[in-house]
Amino acid sequence: MAAANPSIFLLMVNGQVESAQFPEYDDLYCKYCFVYGQDWAPTAGLEEGISQITSKSQDVRRALVWNFPIDVTFKSTNPYGWPQIVLSVYGPDVFGNDVVRGYGAVHVPFSPGRMFVLGTKGPSPCLCQSLHLNCRSSQVTRVCSQGFVTLLLSVVTKDMRKLGYDTGPADTRGVPGPGLPQGVPR
Amino acid sequence: MAEVHVIGQIIGATGFSESSLFCKWGIHTGAAWKLLSGVREGQTQVDTPQVGDMAYWCHPIDLHFATKGLQGWPRLHLQVWSQDSFGRCQLAGYGFCHVPSSPGTHQLDCPTWRPLGSWREQLARAFVGGGPQLLHADTIYSGADRYRLHTAAGGTVRLELGLLLRHFDRYGVEC
Repeated sequence: MAAANPSIFLLMVNGQVESAQFPEYDDLYCKYCFVYGQDWAPTAGLEEGISQITSKSQDVRRALVWNFPIDVTFKSTNPYGWPQIVLSVYGPDVFGNDVVRGYGAVHVPFSPGRMFVLGTKGPSPCLCQSLHLNCRSSQVTRVCSQGFVTLLLSVVTKDMRKLGYDTGPADTRGVPGPGLPQGVPR
Repeated sequence: MAEVHVIGQIIGATGFSESSLFCKWGIHTGAAWKLLSGVREGQTQVDTPQVGDMAYWCHPIDLHFATKGLQGWPRLHLQVWSQDSFGRCQLAGYGFCHVPSSPGTHQLDCPTWRPLGSWREQLARAFVGGGPQLLHADTIYSGADRYRLHTAAGGTVRLELGLLLRHFDRYGVEC
């Protein structure tokens, strides 16, 4: 990769799927994967993973903690199709089968810094993961939002400025995600 | 040509009296702007919150514009609708906000309003549903004929938009 006139830039994402708040469900695990446009390709790290199964803590927080690492690097020629991280949360039903409890997706942040995120939505029976990420196709889906997953992500970019992109100020404080309902601790 | 990437999501809506909400969104730009990639409009899924009162859509937005001028900076316009158990849709609010003009990530709260009709229409809306709607969606983001309207406030739509600018400094534009 020529340092003088780069044509591609790199995006390194690291962090964790920290925890979840699901008032109605217990014994959950999550899967994450990245979805990105045609101009993007992963160069290092794992694009997807499955976490351990976690149970609610006995204390008053009733937190579901995964602390599941994310570490991946992408290369690209075009910010269009910026990677999104897709989460699916699964848990057992009455009969012990794994059923999906919620989906969520969010764009990877693009200022270097850290972020918190994001609400997840309950399933409708025939929902597939890629449905969320296409701006056109969500219209016929009905969902109920049932819980929250907290992601902590840090981002480092290389050569974006050389290519003329201005990503704004580095964000060194946590950016709060959507407001959590009353009584849900951060 | 300078380029602008708008990458973010429509997080959700709060403060509406109805539940089971969805949002139709669109982007309007001036003549100097050209959409290179992405879709200019869309519609979210319907969300019925089980936890709290905020409806979450987390609907992604990824747009790539090229521009020759600053006039007509993109405006995002929103229509929030509610859907009842019979599948009927009722308008909950209209709103718009400008896409931020400085690069980086921005949290935006977009207030909404809905047209009130005559007292007869308001009574009918309370019992049967329905209510007046705009004939032309461009009134949402333009101020031209607003003086004719009498409106009431709806809830707030929360957005998180990230902005990436390219080559603006070549043209001497400071953002």
